[in-house]
Amino acid sequence: MKRVGFVRAAWLVARKDLQLEWRTFDVLSSSVVFSVVVLLVFQFAIGGGAARQIASEALVPGVLWLAIGFSSVVGIARSMDAERRGDTLGGLFRAPIDRGAIYVGKLLANAIKLALLEVILVPLAIVLFNADLGGAWIELIFVLALCSFGLCALGTLFGAIVSRVGRGEALLSTLLLPAATPLLLAGVTATGALFRGDTLASVGRWLGLAAGFGLLFFFVALATFEFVLEE
Amino acid sequence: MDRTASRLDGLLLVSTIVAIPAALWAAFLHAPTEQTMGAVQRIFYFHVPAAVMAYLSVAVLLGSSIVYLSKRDLAWDDLSRAATEVCLLFCTLVLITGPIWAKPAWGTWWTWEARLISTLVLEILLIAALMVRRYADNRDLGARLAAVLAITIAADVYVVHKAVEWWRGMHPEVFKAGQGNSLEPKMLTALYVCMAAMTVLCILLIRLRYRTARIETRTEALRLKQLD
Repeated sequence: MKRVGFVRAAWLVARKDLQLEWRTFDVLSSSVVFSVVVLLVFQFAIGGGAARQIASEALVPGVLWLAIGFSSVVGIARSMDAERRGDTLGGLFRAPIDRGAIYVGKLLANAIKLALLEVILVPLAIVLFNADLGGAWIELIFVLALCSFGLCALGTLFGAIVSRVGRGEALLSTLLLPAATPLLLAGVTATGALFRGDTLASVGRWLGLAAGFGLLFFFVALATFEFVLEE
Repeated sequence: MDRTASRLDGLLLVSTIVAIPAALWAAFLHAPTEQTMGAVQRIFYFHVPAAVMAYLSVAVLLGSSIVYLSKRDLAWDDLSRAATEVCLLFCTLVLITGPIWAKPAWGTWWTWEARLISTLVLEILLIAALMVRRYADNRDLGARLAAVLAITIAADVYVVHKAVEWWRGMHPEVFKAGQGNSLEPKMLTALYVCMAAMTVLCILLIRLRYRTARIETRTEALRLKQLD
């Protein structure tokens, strides 16, 4: 059999996941609805009376990153659940490709799905909480991409672990959200700076932290993913 | 169990039995009462060593997990199981003694500080790792997943610590554990005695838990053999 290269294998795994998503809208439908509900609940809980005194640029970064954190848990758990139901992770493991490529492929698919979710979530948060970004869209996209990459890098590894023991969102959120504390801090700080009208340079080391976090766990996961899949 | 190992355990047990009363004496009788904080400062003699032991157990956990993944010998997994549980114990001690001290000293039970948050994150992740182990269908799967988690947890706790330190960039350094030299000599002796007592206790607990884990593993292997 012809051996498939790393990049091609990763791409094939990602394409398979995205194709599945395109045909079923399983992950996006559940996580989009969930994240909209999270935003609405926040709006009811703190956006009404008491928070009138809190400036929206102080409120939006926190709410936004909470919604992203929770919905990434839901999304990753759903996408791994699909693999578990069909017992297809075992099939992937037996495929004659590098195990790291399976991780990279799944990471890519999860990251694209999270990006699509954020396209809906971010404008909605800005509208609901009446915040003013002041045209710093490119910078915001950069911050979102950097932190979401780290979230997916760690989340894909944890998602695979959780699905191997047959558990869902509850265990994944117990693992992912505390472990991702640095990313959430970086995301909230950097997004907050943008909403206050500051430049990205003022939060440079937070961006460095988010990038370092993402890269660190990307390589940790790349090295350990095969132990997770192993039968 | 070979003889040197059981002799070592005996020695550990005896030194723990001697060291714990000595630590109590040093912390409550030998060390003078602190001027500004009063008696509550004495919790420091247990809080700091417990925190050091928690991080020592993480080091054991990280090492045994890496060796398990490369050698696949369940004995190493038994060691990581022991280290996880002992670490969880010391983390819990730290998280209980910390707020008791912080309320009178800082005026608040809990605050945003690097050590606090990273210890709490460590505690939660260790519980999650034990859950993963429990939920796994078979021993090998649980051991592998727990080892991968342990490596991730060890790396993560370090980053969390750094991140929270930055988050509170303006925060004054209220309490510096490493500055032993600014302590009064008698307080320093008390801290050393307590540190020694906690160290032998920690090693003893890991040893004992490791031995029971070994027995559990062997019994399980025998049971599976009988089923075949």
